[in-house]
Amino acid sequence: MQRVAHVSELSPVTPTPAVEISDLSHVYAGRDGDVPALSDINLTVPTGRFVVIVGPSGCGKTSLLMMLAGLRAASSGTILCGGRAMAGPDPSRIGVVFQEASLYPWLTALENVEFPLALKRTPRDERRRRADSMLRLVGLEGFDGRYPHELSGGMKQRVSIARGLVQDPPVLLMDEPFAALDEQTRMTMGHELLRIWSQTSKTVVFITHSLTEAVYLADEVVVMSARPGRILDTVEITLPRPRTYEMMATDVFGRLRERIWHQIRSAA
Amino acid sequence: MRRPSPRAARWLIGLAILILWEAIPRFGILPELFVPPLTKTLYYLGANWIVYGHALLVTLYEVAISMLIACGFGILVGAVVGGLAALRTLMLPVFSSLYAVPIVILYPVFTAWFGIGSESKIAFAGVYGFFPVMLATAAGIRTIDDQFLVAARSMGASLPQLIARVIIPASIPTVLVGLRLGGALTIVGVVVSEMLTAADGIGYLVTKNRTTLNSPGVFAAIILIFALSIMFDLSVRALERRTVVWQTAGRRTPDESAAPRTDTMAAATA
Repeated sequence: MQRVAHVSELSPVTPTPAVEISDLSHVYAGRDGDVPALSDINLTVPTGRFVVIVGPSGCGKTSLLMMLAGLRAASSGTILCGGRAMAGPDPSRIGVVFQEASLYPWLTALENVEFPLALKRTPRDERRRRADSMLRLVGLEGFDGRYPHELSGGMKQRVSIARGLVQDPPVLLMDEPFAALDEQTRMTMGHELLRIWSQTSKTVVFITHSLTEAVYLADEVVVMSARPGRILDTVEITLPRPRTYEMMATDVFGRLRERIWHQIRSAA
Repeated sequence: MRRPSPRAARWLIGLAILILWEAIPRFGILPELFVPPLTKTLYYLGANWIVYGHALLVTLYEVAISMLIACGFGILVGAVVGGLAALRTLMLPVFSSLYAVPIVILYPVFTAWFGIGSESKIAFAGVYGFFPVMLATAAGIRTIDDQFLVAARSMGASLPQLIARVIIPASIPTVLVGLRLGGALTIVGVVVSEMLTAADGIGYLVTKNRTTLNSPGVFAAIILIFALSIMFDLSVRALERRTVVWQTAGRRTPDESAAPRTDTMAAATA
């Protein structure tokens, strides 16, 4: 009893959030002057959470992701990852999975997963061992020697996920990773991602256009407005884990999806 | 009746050309001065193999050096021009226009500068082959999928790593197309310049025997140039197969790894 009280007392302060975005704004120089892309973003992602960002096209989701990945600097505001600012790309802190298969077609599945380790000059044996175990984690055992064009769309994204996870970063960023897949594969991959997530206990920041995907995957859905991107609302997804396909047919699921849709539509 | 495979058809066409080459002059359809029979040409080649062998070596030497120059500088300049946006907008239109100029009109200038020996052939053919290699390399680097570069940077690649591990492998297929074109053009450049002004080489033998109306002598030289070009093409193709495995692997060869996939596909459609 005493212990529970102790935890609840400390919990608002002690754990460093995995990602902390404060007062982030971004303006880029367009042809007719400055264009505001992101405005006053404040977002805290606690460790281990699955946060999905949704919003209309051109709401600056991708800009936000590039900044989180350390690939682009924001005009103002700060991004802390594990309590420290991102000075540049750091795959041991944030792994990124991109939309289209950004796998290198001249490397095999295994070599693609090894790529970030090879950049760090990790010894070959360790590289192979870690990449192998990642391929096993994403369910691609036995496909290590295949080239990307020999893999299906879903398999390619499995390789991308394995590549994002191979350095064991605490945070995984995913930029519409399943957007190019057909509906069935997309559902399967969402389910697979949840399995991988529950096995690795990563913090996930996932960007998508699909509201169904958002509600199905997320602990929390962050709804963004059109340009300049602002956070309109954060919706807690109270559906129990593990998620099942059947939940999509429930009233709770429908209401959550409706609420998000309403937010996006009323802001447009 | 079964249609022959494309491969068999190609061999058949080749064989037919050889037979026609022998038959047409033999039956007097064309005079032997225009086309000497194949066997007569081969016999002439065999009888004069010292002269032709020497000329072939000279030509091979010139081709090899000019190919090195064309490919080396072509890749180097192409990489710089393709990689730097400012240089690209400035230079690429100029190089593209220069490519359209028939550079052969400059050959007399080359002989004035380098004499009529091998040097002028090498310089001329080197310049001739340089343009396609350079343009292909620039195009290969310019058209790299931006996603490849963004992904590499997100994984922490430094600029040298980006070049060695992404830009070079990604541009190899396009560069190889340029090498193939440029290499073929250096052969053309060497042979043409030998035909114009020279005292040696296979092109020179073509010109010399033509002026003396020795048509077996002309065709013997032509056979050697044919052989040279075909050998070059085969070796580039072998190089392509070795380096661009990832483009062709599993696409044409029905290897065992492709089998399970077709099975599942069949099961899905059933």
